[in-house]
Amino acid sequence: MNRAPFLFLGIFLALALSFVGLVLTNQISYGAFLTHVDEGEGKAFPLQAPGLAAQGKLVYQDLGCVSCHTQQVRREGFGSDIGEKSRGWGERQSVARDYLRESRVLLGSQRIGPDLRNFAARKNADGTEHTASALYAYLYHPQAVVKTSNMPAYKYLFKTQPIIGQGSAKALKLPAAAGHEVVPTARAEALVAYLLSLKDTYAYPETKNVYTAPAAAKTQPAKESHK
Amino acid sequence: MATDSHNPKHKSDCALAPSCDASVIDASLRAPLTVLITSALIWLLVAGTLSVVAAWQLHTPSFFNNCEYVTYGRIQPAQSSVFIYGWGFNAAFAVSLWLMARLSRGALPGCGVLLLGTVFWNVGVTVGVGGILAGFSTSLASLEMPGFATPLLWVAYALIAAWSFVVFRAGRSQQLFASQWYLFVALLAFPWIYAIAQIMLVFVPVRGTVQSVIQAWFAGNLFLLWFASIALAAIYYFLPKLLKKPVSSYYLASTGFWWLVVFGSWAGITRLIGGPVPAWVQTFGAAATFMLLVPLVIFVLNFLGSLAGNGALLKDSYPLRFITFGVFALLLVLLAWVFGAVHGFAAITQFTYFTAAEAQLGYYGFFTMVIFGALYAIVPRVFATAWANDALIGVHFVASAIGVTLVVGSLAIGGINQGLQLADASIAFTSVTSATLPYLFSASVGCVLIAIGQLAFAINFFWTLANASACCVSSVKQLLSAQPEATR
Repeated sequence: MNRAPFLFLGIFLALALSFVGLVLTNQISYGAFLTHVDEGEGKAFPLQAPGLAAQGKLVYQDLGCVSCHTQQVRREGFGSDIGEKSRGWGERQSVARDYLRESRVLLGSQRIGPDLRNFAARKNADGTEHTASALYAYLYHPQAVVKTSNMPAYKYLFKTQPIIGQGSAKALKLPAAAGHEVVPTARAEALVAYLLSLKDTYAYPETKNVYTAPAAAKTQPAKESHK
Repeated sequence: MATDSHNPKHKSDCALAPSCDASVIDASLRAPLTVLITSALIWLLVAGTLSVVAAWQLHTPSFFNNCEYVTYGRIQPAQSSVFIYGWGFNAAFAVSLWLMARLSRGALPGCGVLLLGTVFWNVGVTVGVGGILAGFSTSLASLEMPGFATPLLWVAYALIAAWSFVVFRAGRSQQLFASQWYLFVALLAFPWIYAIAQIMLVFVPVRGTVQSVIQAWFAGNLFLLWFASIALAAIYYFLPKLLKKPVSSYYLASTGFWWLVVFGSWAGITRLIGGPVPAWVQTFGAAATFMLLVPLVIFVLNFLGSLAGNGALLKDSYPLRFITFGVFALLLVLLAWVFGAVHGFAAITQFTYFTAAEAQLGYYGFFTMVIFGALYAIVPRVFATAWANDALIGVHFVASAIGVTLVVGSLAIGGINQGLQLADASIAFTSVTSATLPYLFSASVGCVLIAIGQLAFAINFFWTLANASACCVSSVKQLLSAQPEATR
C-alpha cells in the first residue's frame, strides 16, 4: 500500500476491469444486435423516425424535457407501468431493441411528468386519441387544460400573427387580440410530431415470453393476445 | 521520491507530523489556491441562485416561464453543470493540490501552466453552461454541456491535475497516507471516465441502450471515484489532525479503499434496475452495490471510531463540525445506494424525488460540506491569516446544516410518498403531483437557506483574502508571482 507504482497499477486494473466488464462487453454484445425484419409486414423494426419527428426530438432535447419525463416502460410487477391495475403507460415493457435506431437514448430519471415512451399509442381518459391540436393547446398553457398540471407553459413555441383570409387551420382556439391568431412555430410542430411518433407497439420475439411475477401469472394469455 | 529521514513510524502519524517546510509549501500554493477558490466560490453562488430558481419552478410552474432560456428544462441542467463542474471541480482541484503538497511535502515549482489550466477550465464551463441555456444541452445527466465546450475541459484538466503529481514527485515523503490513495484514484479515474463518456455518448454515439449503461457508469463513477474520493482524502487528512489523534482502526483503511474502488466502479449502473438493458448488467450492478456495505462499515470504524468521545471538540472547531456533518452524510448516502439496489425499494423510489434527495445528500451533504470544512482549515494556513469574521462561519454552518437537512429530508419523504402513490394506479397522476407540492415548497426554503450560507462563506473568504493581501502583497501581479526561493 505504500509503493506508488503498485498503487497506480492497482487503480489502473480496477478501472480497466470496470471499463471492460461494463462498457466494452456491452458494446461488443450489442454489436450482434440487429433490427427485427418482419417479412409479413416487409419492414425492419424499430422503424426509422420520420424526418419531422427527428427534428422534434432535438427540440425535446433542447428544452430539457428529459428533466421531468422518462421514456422507459418498466415490466409488469415493477412499479405500476403496465399490466392489470396499472397506469397503462405501454402495451409491453420497453426492451433494448426499441432504442436501437436512436442516436441519443433519453431514458430519463425523473417522473415529475408521466412517462412518454408510448405516448402516441395511449388514449386520453375519455378514450379518444391524442391529437396535434390538443397537444398545442396543452403546451401553450398546460393549466388551462389540466388545472393541477405542474408543467411549465411553452408559449414561446407559438407566435401571434394577423389573420389573413380564412386564418390558419392550426390556430389555437384562444381568445386572441382582434384580427390575430396564435399559431405553432416550426419548432412546436416538430415537437408535436415527435411526441405523436412515440409508439412502441410492435411485439418483438423477446417481448412475447417475458417473466411475469407468479401473482400476476394469470394475465399471461391476455398479454399474448396483444400482438 | 528521494529517501529522507522524515518517515514517521506509524502511517497515520504522517498527517500529524509537523513538517519543517509547511510554510514554504503553503506559500507556493497561495497564487493557484487564490484563483481556484475564487472561481469555485463564484460558481457556487451562481449554482445556489439557479437551484433556488429551479426549486421554485417545481412547485410554481409559472415562475420564470416566459422565455425559453430560463425554463426548468434548461435551468436544472445548467444548475447541475455549474455545481458539478464549476464549484465541485475548482474546489476539488484546490483541496487535492493542497493535500497532495502537504502530504508529499513538495512545494509547487511554479504556477503559470496551472493558472492557464484554471482559466481554460472556467472558460470551458462558461461556454458549456451558456450552451445549455441557449439550447444545446446533450440531455445526458451530469454530461449536459455541449460537445463544443468539453474538449477544452479535458485539456484544462490535464493542465491542472498534472501538478498534483508534480508536487508528489517533488516531495520527500516516502510514506503514502490513505488520503493520497484516494487522491490518486480520483485524479487517475476522472480523465478516463470523462473521455469514454464524451467519445462514446457525444462524439461517436454507440448503439441503443449501451448509451444508458455508459451514462450510468459515468455518473456513478463521477460521484464515487471523483467527488467521494476527494472528500474522503480530506476526511482522512483532517479528522486525525483536528482531533489530534490517529485514525481509529487505520489498518482497515486499505481494505475499505480497494473495496470501494473495485466494487464502487461497478455500482453506478444500479440506477438502470428494471430498465431496458441486459438483465446481467442490473444484477452485477446490484451485487456491486451490496459490496459497498464493506467500505461503509470500515468508514464507520475509522471515522465514527475516531470521533467517539471527542464530541466536546466540535464546539471549538468549525472545520470539524463541517467534516463531521459530511461523515454522517457519507454513511447515509452509501446506505441509500445499497437500499436502491433492493428491487422492492427501487420499484418505489426510482424516478421519484427520492433520487434527487440522494444526489443532494451526496453532492451537498457529503462532498460540499467536507470541502467547506477543509477550506476553513486550509485558507488560514495558506494565507497566513485568521478568518475575517467568526460569526459568518457560524451563519454558514447553521444555514447549510439546516438547509441540507430540510432539502434532503423533504425530498426523501416526499419522494417515497410520491413513489407509493405512483405505484397505486387508482390515484390519478395529477393527484400524485399535487401531493408532492408541500414537500417541494419546504425543499425550496432549504435551498434559500443553503444559498444564504454560501453567501456568508463567500463574503468571509473575500474579506479574508483582502486582509491577507493588504499585509502581504500590494498588487495582484505580486501575489501571482510570489514564489518562495526555496521551491525553485
